[in-house]
Amino acid sequence: MNDRLLGAVSLYGAPALFGIVAIAAVGVPLPITLLLIVAGSMISQGAMNPWWAIGAAAAGSSLGDQAGYVIGRWGGPAAAARLGALFGKRVNLKAMETKVRTWGGSGIFVTRWLLSPLGPWINLASGTARYPWPRFLLWDLMGEVTGAAVFISLGRFFSDRAMSLYGVLGDLTWAVAGLLAAVLFGYLLVARLRRARVR
Amino acid sequence: MAFVLAVASTVIFASRAGRRARLMHAANEPIREWMSVPFIAHAHHLPASVLFQAIGVRPRQPYDRRSIRHIARDLNRPVPELMAQLESAIQAATPPPGGHPR
Repeated sequence: MNDRLLGAVSLYGAPALFGIVAIAAVGVPLPITLLLIVAGSMISQGAMNPWWAIGAAAAGSSLGDQAGYVIGRWGGPAAAARLGALFGKRVNLKAMETKVRTWGGSGIFVTRWLLSPLGPWINLASGTARYPWPRFLLWDLMGEVTGAAVFISLGRFFSDRAMSLYGVLGDLTWAVAGLLAAVLFGYLLVARLRRARVR
Repeated sequence: MAFVLAVASTVIFASRAGRRARLMHAANEPIREWMSVPFIAHAHHLPASVLFQAIGVRPRQPYDRRSIRHIARDLNRPVPELMAQLESAIQAATPPPGGHPR
């Protein structure tokens, strides 16, 4: 399946990229980072226009994100849970909604590219939490343009090392997720110790 | 406990990423069936014409976007056979460390 999608981007370029990233943004697990790296590599070989590639990737992802938001907002938690189940994920929507309320726009921005596996679930939770749509759209677009520009540029720079770069970025994503979790748990731990000392 | 797990996973994945990054330029890029011949040629710093010649295909355009799988289907040949031919051609055209191409 993934091989066919990568082959489609190679053959059809930006239009294929647009369609595939839109589907992935709804929650279908697809190797989007690798697709963007491959697009970057193709740009460096003169086989794709950089502005078309960034535009298609950002617009497609944002379209899929809006669909996720709409499902969450008008379908409610039941529709969001059904969508999660469809892709084999059990989504803790309440926890995601808390994250949306706590992090706000910066959470939406970061989950577009740095913590992208959380992106589809944040879209649903933003809808169910009734996060204001214009603000969601603004942060979403900024995040998607940043993500597309970063990964396509990396692919362009390391154009002869697409697969190796993908491996490095996969590990880095998990390292960043671990670091954020460590900061959060560390903060909670210190707050708890302080409370215990006051008593 | 959660804090310790988070720190441990950060260290493990960051060190893995560092190790992979250091090996990036030394490692050989694998060939996958979704790759086009010019894409493979670029990853191995070879002219695409060398690889097209090795599999006996005339490119359709200056940058023939067809994947290996697509070419194999067009030629009615098995994908692994084409990939093996490409790998041999890359090996033959790539100079060994400190030497000339075989």
